[in-house]
Amino acid sequence: MSITAETAQEHKNDPAVLCCRLEAGNQIQPANLEDPAIFDDLVDSGLLNLDGCLKISQVLGATLTKTCDSLSPITADAVDKIQEEEEEAPALEAAPEEAPAPAPAVSVAGPVSGGTLKIHIGEGKEINIEIPMGFSGGNGVAVAPVAAPAEMKDEQNAEEPAKVVRSVTRKHYAISEVKRGPETKIDGTVLYIREGIEEEAVASQELVHELKLDIITPDKYNTYSETIMDVQPIAAKEGEDEIGSGVTRVLDGVIMMVTGTDDNGVQIGEFGSSEGILEENIMWNRPGAPDKGEIFIKTEVTIKEGTNMERPGPLAAHAATDVITQEIREALKKLEDDSLVVNTETFEQVRRPGKKKVVIVKEIMGQGAMHDNLILPVEPVGVLGAKPNVDLGNVPVVVSPVEVLDGCIHALTCIGPASKEMSRHYWREPLVLETLHDPEVDLCGVILVGSPQINSEKFYVSKRVGMTCEAMDVDGAFVTTEGFGNNHIDFASHIEQIGMRGISVVGMSFCAKQGALVVGNKYMTNMVDNNKSEGGIENEVLACNTLCHEDAIRALNMLKVQMNGGKVKAAEKQWNPNVKANNVELISNVTGKPIELVPNETSLPMSKKRKEKYS
Amino acid sequence: MSMQTILLKQHIGAPCEPVVAAGDQVQRGTLIAKPAGLGANIHASVSGKVAAVTETAIQIEADAEQPDDFVSIEGETNLELLKAAGLVGMGGAGFPTAVKLNVDLKGGYILVNAAECEPVLEHNMQQIRTKADMTVRGIKYIMEICNADHGVIAIKAKHEKEVAILNEAIKGDDKLSIHLLPDLYPMGEERAVVREVLGTLLDPTQLPSAADAVVINVETVLRAAEAIELHRPAITKNITVIGKLKGGPQAHVFMDVPVGTTVGELIERAGGIDGEYGEIILGGPFTGSATTLDTPITKTTGGIIVTQPFEDLKGKKVGLLVCACGGNENRMRDIAAKMNGEVISVQKCKQAAEIKGALKCENPGNCPGQAQKCINFKKDGCEDIIIGNCSDCTNTVMGSAPKLGLAVHHQTDHVLQTVGKEVMRYLTTSKKLEEAPAEAPAQESPEPHKAEAEKPAVKYTATVNDGMLRIHIEEGKDINIEFPFH
Repeated sequence: MSITAETAQEHKNDPAVLCCRLEAGNQIQPANLEDPAIFDDLVDSGLLNLDGCLKISQVLGATLTKTCDSLSPITADAVDKIQEEEEEAPALEAAPEEAPAPAPAVSVAGPVSGGTLKIHIGEGKEINIEIPMGFSGGNGVAVAPVAAPAEMKDEQNAEEPAKVVRSVTRKHYAISEVKRGPETKIDGTVLYIREGIEEEAVASQELVHELKLDIITPDKYNTYSETIMDVQPIAAKEGEDEIGSGVTRVLDGVIMMVTGTDDNGVQIGEFGSSEGILEENIMWNRPGAPDKGEIFIKTEVTIKEGTNMERPGPLAAHAATDVITQEIREALKKLEDDSLVVNTETFEQVRRPGKKKVVIVKEIMGQGAMHDNLILPVEPVGVLGAKPNVDLGNVPVVVSPVEVLDGCIHALTCIGPASKEMSRHYWREPLVLETLHDPEVDLCGVILVGSPQINSEKFYVSKRVGMTCEAMDVDGAFVTTEGFGNNHIDFASHIEQIGMRGISVVGMSFCAKQGALVVGNKYMTNMVDNNKSEGGIENEVLACNTLCHEDAIRALNMLKVQMNGGKVKAAEKQWNPNVKANNVELISNVTGKPIELVPNETSLPMSKKRKEKYS
Repeated sequence: MSMQTILLKQHIGAPCEPVVAAGDQVQRGTLIAKPAGLGANIHASVSGKVAAVTETAIQIEADAEQPDDFVSIEGETNLELLKAAGLVGMGGAGFPTAVKLNVDLKGGYILVNAAECEPVLEHNMQQIRTKADMTVRGIKYIMEICNADHGVIAIKAKHEKEVAILNEAIKGDDKLSIHLLPDLYPMGEERAVVREVLGTLLDPTQLPSAADAVVINVETVLRAAEAIELHRPAITKNITVIGKLKGGPQAHVFMDVPVGTTVGELIERAGGIDGEYGEIILGGPFTGSATTLDTPITKTTGGIIVTQPFEDLKGKKVGLLVCACGGNENRMRDIAAKMNGEVISVQKCKQAAEIKGALKCENPGNCPGQAQKCINFKKDGCEDIIIGNCSDCTNTVMGSAPKLGLAVHHQTDHVLQTVGKEVMRYLTTSKKLEEAPAEAPAQESPEPHKAEAEKPAVKYTATVNDGMLRIHIEEGKDINIEFPFH
């Protein structure tokens, strides 16, 4: 449909196509032009062929030399002359929508010459000027409305050294075997779990009626499991250390896995769940998934019938499992033999003054039931001491990136397992790791924000996100989300709230085909799709479409481009996996580092469910 | 003679209040209802006996013998005469004329709408052929009432004969002129007339007075002259009856039909319906709506159209493109139902602005593009679409819908096919006229510009407070401020 002068300016480099019949002799105005936003649809429908089409800036003001019908691309032979690219007239950029002519909102030049402050205003409305009367020469900084370039930070502070504000050291203990025994202990590389611990786990939770403990070694990957509710690292803080500082001990080669149903055998999270043969339903080595070869300590929790879709049910399953995990943590804490430490790594949060300041906003599920997250437990990915973000009202909580990597989130997720972030995901969060280690940016923190059920609450929390970013005075922000659909409403709103404050922002979500965004706004120009699945769908394979290293580097590069004044090419209308492939190639060409893409579900044996549902 | 049903609401405003009761004898021209609020007097269009007074109408049993004369109206001034006559806009809007003309145009324009824009109607042209002189005198009376210096008759260039007659009738009066219009729909829309003649595009909420003009229908002008010269109340209407009639589809024009005559009587006078038919339309193909044989005509009725049976879409999924130029959504749904289509998508033209419950086009006859709407229809799963658009928009729809596999039907198809005219599809006529005939002055096509108030000079205030000099400038251009400091 016809466009306004403002839209024409935004799309000045897009093809000029007549929206309606225009007769020869008429001067081409924005109102004669079709909105470039629908060109993809038009081209797809065969209605439009843009070959040889001039740009909008080249035709505005030119006279049409032959009568053309609607949807005619304007070509060089149809206009009297091709308009020269005009110099960037500051005029059009700031024009308010209601302005009848493309006039500048206000253009001011205010040099101080001699003893006189001279202000010239070309044209403007509602101008307020305040000048202190005692103002006595020297520098003329009182001339307010001249937009000061905000980019001076870099040069000014370039000399300030980077500073480590916080660090966590992980000590890794290898486990090669998990056995049952009379007490829970770690003996060399063998982990013993006390026999009968299941009863205590059941007794700890009123809603838990049964708990089965299975030790899944690689030879049992081909067995059936109920839906996987969580994958957790087994880690404990050393001594009095708190999450986000000091030393954390972690077991390698083994993870906790929570699964379960209700009394009636209904999956916790029925309707998009990952029950089935384990090796057919786990995308190995995703940040949030088990690595191939690891041993799973798998609980199969049965909860009171009908509580699977309410808040207390899934939480009870997690809490009961944590009774077992906690006993392992205690055993881990007791280890005194440092020779068992196979590897030590340190995560430092380095602040880099003078570099572009960025923040990561992680939208986490907060609708209730299994869509909850326990924030800041006493032990990594524990339960004790943590606050569910639903109870916190889903408002933004600022944490250190190092706290994220140290297990400050215990995730309750289940429905839509392919795009949900398990507890282990945060433990190895690729975007946090990548940004933390990038010497070109200054990662100041991670904002966790829940995704509430109710729309009004969604906007309530997104406004807080915007205000938090404003207070942090960041140059750029990432907004990540998990799942798709309902949460995209607040995801989009977070991006809008950040973008409207002039902060560069990149959004990350599973979208592709099935998760295509249903809402949008003008700040959602830089988006990274986390999809890995072949068909662009939620395939119910655990963690398949979650944020990976290859997504993190794309987002990081995209944000850097935007913060440095560059533009990201607009997305294509339809999902096209080649966009990702091209971007990965571009980045790898520039950095000189090859990027190996992770495999997707096609590398797994095909489950019966997947065969029936998705092929 | 028969029963005349005279409706109490024949105009914009509230229904009139009856001033007669059942059993009263009335003469042709007797005042039978007065306005309650905005409205216009209603007079008996026949002599006879009031048979009944209902909430909506007065029924008069007409005498067998009808007089030629009528009860005269009275008034001191011309405007009072128009008010007494119960004159309303006869183009269809029905706005009380005396209210509309009670304006001082300070030398502005009376724009006479003789576009007769709805296809197939012919009574306006017949009026010009038979009553040009009286019509022209009517223009002069109205110019005087409104203090207008110019009278312009807007008429389509294709009516060469009528244009020639009018040129003859206005000869020697340099205040009067003719503006020729291209043969497009719509040209008679009030703001389209203003734009075409004066080059000013009004907002849908603005009245022509914003451009120092009054737009008035050509038949209203004639009836004004009758009220002023003959003291004749508005009791008759010129009507075109056309369609699937015995004797052929050519137009039958009936001049001075008494208000209250039924649609059925007029169709009979035109020969009667010829066999199977689709619907009877009261009004024109674009803005009229379906009616019944016993419906009485009013002061605003223009056309009665009997159409051929509708095309049967056999339950196909249909999209409706509603715009201000054609039928409203109800009318479009009515047509879709009669065509046996299942409406699954309704789109509204981008330019159709809702003003006081009715749709008005922001720039009548100049298309804002329809490709997006057609894509929406396709996405919604439509197979066929029914559109009510103007010539230009219809042409745009044709630029995309057929390529998308959407079969296009226009709401006027069944009318135009009945009378053997080409249906609305592609546009072949230019929006601009090649060359105006020499005798028609003021033939310009200025680029429309928005009516806009004069820009004020720079308005500013300067105050000193708390040691601060505060300058506030509301609006201005090329402002220089110099401020010495020491």
